[in-house]
Amino acid sequence: MSNTTMISRGSHVSRIWVIALHAFTQLVRMKVFYFLAVFAVIAIASNFFDLPQHEGPESVGVNVLRSIKSWSLGTMTLFSVVLSIVATALLLPKDVEDRTLYTILAKPVPRMDYLAGKLLGVLLLVFVSLALMDVLMTAVLQIRTSMVMEQQLEMARAMDWPQDAIESLRAETLAQGPSWSLQGAVFAVFLRASVMASLALLISTFSTSTLFTTIISFLIYFIGHFQADARDVYLQAGQAGEGVFARLASLLISLVLPDFQNFNVIDAVIEGQAMPLLVLGKLTLIGLYYAVFFTVASWFIFAEKEF
Amino acid sequence: MKAWQRNGILTAALLVFGAARMPFEASLARELRAAGLTPPPMEIGTRDKIGQTSSAVALGGLRTLVATFLNLRAFSFFQEQRWDDVADTYDTIVDLAPRTRYYWETGSWHSAYNAASYYMNDSRLPALRRREAWRASILRGRAFLERGIRNNPTDWSILANLGFLLSDSNKFAAFRDSNEAFAAAADAYRRSADTGKALPYVRRAEFYSLARVAGKEKEALALARSLYTDPRNRTPTLLILLLVLEAHENPSMDSTRRALELFGTPEKAYEALTGHWRRTHERFPVYGIAAALESLEKNLAVPENKSIFKQPLQSTTGPDDWFQK
Repeated sequence: MSNTTMISRGSHVSRIWVIALHAFTQLVRMKVFYFLAVFAVIAIASNFFDLPQHEGPESVGVNVLRSIKSWSLGTMTLFSVVLSIVATALLLPKDVEDRTLYTILAKPVPRMDYLAGKLLGVLLLVFVSLALMDVLMTAVLQIRTSMVMEQQLEMARAMDWPQDAIESLRAETLAQGPSWSLQGAVFAVFLRASVMASLALLISTFSTSTLFTTIISFLIYFIGHFQADARDVYLQAGQAGEGVFARLASLLISLVLPDFQNFNVIDAVIEGQAMPLLVLGKLTLIGLYYAVFFTVASWFIFAEKEF
Repeated sequence: MKAWQRNGILTAALLVFGAARMPFEASLARELRAAGLTPPPMEIGTRDKIGQTSSAVALGGLRTLVATFLNLRAFSFFQEQRWDDVADTYDTIVDLAPRTRYYWETGSWHSAYNAASYYMNDSRLPALRRREAWRASILRGRAFLERGIRNNPTDWSILANLGFLLSDSNKFAAFRDSNEAFAAAADAYRRSADTGKALPYVRRAEFYSLARVAGKEKEALALARSLYTDPRNRTPTLLILLLVLEAHENPSMDSTRRALELFGTPEKAYEALTGHWRRTHERFPVYGIAAALESLEKNLAVPENKSIFKQPLQSTTGPDDWFQK
């Protein structure tokens, strides 16, 4: 009995993996990685936004480090969200159009495995892309941080600064350079993209076109950044004298839509703050919660869909 | 299962799962905001100012990126000397990225230094209006830094920048009560140094400001004595102010003897004290300095025509001179 279960579980995983790799290859053939060239240009160009400033010699160059992070993480966010929505929205209709879906479903492939495999393929693509962009950003940031640090230390030595002052300066500059918090921020970008991909998968199971899925997903993405406001309105209702309808509407938005504002910790990391591991853990839990729920919900719709 | 049944179950599941996650998400949101990891909600005014597209981008989780774009725009306004636009843009930028020190300091610098200097020299305006615009720009720069401090109470650099602005001899006239300005400068420097991250000069700067606050001489003297214990702090200004404050505390003190103790030789003491005597525009106290100088001049046999008391003091020009034309 237990052997049968193990074999069955193993085959589920291998089926999902095969479908995921196929989806990944399918997307790679669409030449999405060309975007990395654009990213490289952006990451390098962000080095040159060094505006004349008022700051003392001890702060020179630090703003460029922030600029590199801001441009890079901004581009990563845009790329990952667009890719996760569009790629997911494209997968099911494309399989229907190519008739691949019929071939797969004619075999003993559970529909859940098919959906999970497709989603995993998209997430794999987003992960690989973000990892490559992260390596590039970290390299550019590391080189620039070393340059800034060298300039600052030279200045500090010339001005005969005491060692504790030099250490304080070094710590402040290093906080703007590559750090574990920055890697955490990149992971938060991935988590948000994962939620969007699983949501787009749910929408695509009942949607009639790729365009519809894409538009609705983007709308939800933007409204999701207001979800916390709606939740606050609901939770603090009565204090401001909102009507019943306002309370109901805010409750509905809070329950149905995902909250993307919590993922905005990325901004704080760009500004040089440290992200505790516990916060990242909680964000991961939320991301997993959404991804699993939306995938199961997608299967629930897809399971009985006629093709 | 019929379609309506399936949709009904899905809707119910969405609501139930939503209700299950809501307390966790709400508590995480509170935790992140309290830790300063997520910024406060963007104000309606900010959304209007940055326009629909940028607003959408900012709401899409890219607030710092929009702030970076706006910083470039502010630089263009600065080059075109559109000071109101510069100030408005920085108001928006700091709403988007309230934790970035650079934006607070640069926004204040544009107002208090660049715009103020521009108005000082703007020949198209009558003198009275130039003076008012100069003063208003400096006060706007101060208010901007104070807002930055409220948002970042532990940032040593913004605090030190405020101290610097309030104790800048070229800006004294903009603050109606210079005693209040020096006290506020000393307080800003003190808070900056208390963060433990500030550079060593910040504590000395606190002392230089505190020494100029009438009525705070006792506190200033205590701080001077504490700073004096570290040889790295023994700058000429600190040594002179230590002498001055001791003379204030004990008017019968022999200030010449004390000057010799602090500076080692009569020549060095005379050089330092004459420099201090001439720095009248910085409004440092001078208790006991005249007596010490007279005595040192006798000791060094300084000819009467070369006496410091016969030399012109450093220029004391201020707004009354700048805005005459």
